[in-house]
Amino acid sequence: MARGWTIPLLRSERSVSRFLMACMALGFIALIGSAGTAGWFVMRAQEHATWVEHTYEVERRISTLRVLIERLEVARRGYLLSHRQQTKQTFLATVQDELPLVADLRRLTADNAAQQHNLDRFQALAIEHFQVLSRSMVLADKAPELATAIFTHDQSLGITRDLRAVTAAMLEEENKLLEGRIEAQRDAVRILFYALAFAGALAVATAIFSMMVLRRYTRSLVESRDEVLQLADELEDRVDERTRDLSRANEEIQRFAYIVSHDLRSPLVNVMGFTGELEAATKPLAALVDKVEAEAPQLLDQDAALAAREDLPESIGFIRTSTQKMDRLINAILRLSREGRRVLTPERIDLAPLADAIVASLQHRLDEIGAEITVQRVMPPVVADRLAVEQMISNLVENAVKYLKPGVPGRIAISAVNERGRVDIAIADNGRGIDPRDHDRIFDLFRRSGTQDQPGEGIGLAHVRALAYRLGGFVDCKSALGEGATFTLSLPVQPTIQG
Amino acid sequence: MNAHQPVTIVMIEDDEGHARLIEKNIRRAGISNDIKHFMDGTSALAHLYEAPDGPALNGPALILLDLNLPDMSGTDILQKIKADGNPLRRTPVIVLTTTDDKVEIQRCYDLGANVYITKPVDYESFATAIRQLGLFLAVIQVPDIELEA
Repeated sequence: MARGWTIPLLRSERSVSRFLMACMALGFIALIGSAGTAGWFVMRAQEHATWVEHTYEVERRISTLRVLIERLEVARRGYLLSHRQQTKQTFLATVQDELPLVADLRRLTADNAAQQHNLDRFQALAIEHFQVLSRSMVLADKAPELATAIFTHDQSLGITRDLRAVTAAMLEEENKLLEGRIEAQRDAVRILFYALAFAGALAVATAIFSMMVLRRYTRSLVESRDEVLQLADELEDRVDERTRDLSRANEEIQRFAYIVSHDLRSPLVNVMGFTGELEAATKPLAALVDKVEAEAPQLLDQDAALAAREDLPESIGFIRTSTQKMDRLINAILRLSREGRRVLTPERIDLAPLADAIVASLQHRLDEIGAEITVQRVMPPVVADRLAVEQMISNLVENAVKYLKPGVPGRIAISAVNERGRVDIAIADNGRGIDPRDHDRIFDLFRRSGTQDQPGEGIGLAHVRALAYRLGGFVDCKSALGEGATFTLSLPVQPTIQG
Repeated sequence: MNAHQPVTIVMIEDDEGHARLIEKNIRRAGISNDIKHFMDGTSALAHLYEAPDGPALNGPALILLDLNLPDMSGTDILQKIKADGNPLRRTPVIVLTTTDDKVEIQRCYDLGANVYITKPVDYESFATAIRQLGLFLAVIQVPDIELEA
């Protein structure tokens, strides 16, 4: 379990779980193996017990047989000495008992050639023994005085000895079998022990190994979690830094716009001022031309008269309107940059009263042109800078009022819906609509769309879009020419951009 | 303007056109006081404090100050003039500039500016404003400079 080869296992979550599955499978195999071994052992033990019992059965019968042989011997001797009928009957009954025992033994040891052979011998000897004994008893009945001689001289003692030897051999044979069986049983126990020990060791090893792997895995998990946390911290720092950079750049642009527009105003003051001076100077010139024409027409040059009366006033007029326009544009940039520098203070805004106030401020104009604005009664609240939201909605509503279709009574609807964390404020009108080609352009500074029959510099929508971006939202236009327009202002329910 | 000694108008204005327009309109308002024009802060300060005929050494003055100057900010000059113990601290300063930023206006008054006027781009308004300033200059009382010594 050296670190060297466990570490590659921990590379991925999947390899760890695969490894743990393998450990578990190994553990189960050990368990199944030990259960199988135990089952096999129980069967072996049962079989063994049957055989041991069988051996004892055989041995018991052999012992009984030995007892019967002795009893035959004793019965005959008794009869020879006493000639009692009862003893003779005992002898006969004992012989009767001998036969089923031998038959039993034959059946029990049918699979054992050695025992069958012993039994054959026993049977032959037993028959001979019976014949010798019964003959001696018949002889004794005829000549009781010979009984002792018979007892002393016949071969029964030798046969009895042989019978004893045969049965002893049979017992010996059975004992040998029993010993073999006990030995086999011992082997089985040993096998069981080894198998269980092996399975146990395997299970313990698997458990220890998987525990170590788990521990190492957990440790590596904790380590990677720490790493992730650290990375998240770093990321946050980096995001903060970027945000600071961005807001610095933004401030720079705002300041730039501010300074530029101020510095642009300064020369404009001169252009306007000296144009005014020029205009003032034109008057005495024109008066002089008039006077010359009246008093000495021959002195009057046609060009001079034209210059004083038409060219100069015309040029001055163009300079004047251009500079006035330039002044308005500069003021617009200045206002936008000022708006960009204003600190936003988010607060909860109830949109319906805010819209009502805007409608009220336009009421006079609405009455004049016969237009009507409806405000949806229940609108979702939004948390944002009040002034900014007011300006955006106000600009959009003013635009809707401004670009109504002539001859059609204006209908404007202000509504809002909450959609997935954003509030979409819609200002829909039935006015003259906007060509879809211009939908992007109209949000650019100084760009306008359609017939230029209304005053304005093309600032309002640019202003709305800049404000919407600052609040983390956006503004969108849906319209077709002559079909009215719907401007949708989408703001986050909670502010996402601070400052 | 002042009974015993003529008040000099010191105009600190980097734009020659503006200066000319201001002067023209002041004259049109009937003000004939001497107008001294400086195009940058350094020469203006030198005149204010060191010139033998400058206000610090000789006679009362009124300062017309533009805030956007090439070498220093008009507010720096204002701060210097209005500092405690400065001989010129009671000299009226009229800030006449293009900036109409609220913060800037507040700052100038905080520093002791007497009047703050934004130059309107529209020439009629501009001329009117300067002429009215001229009328104002005709009635304003300017204190004598207290010479340190």
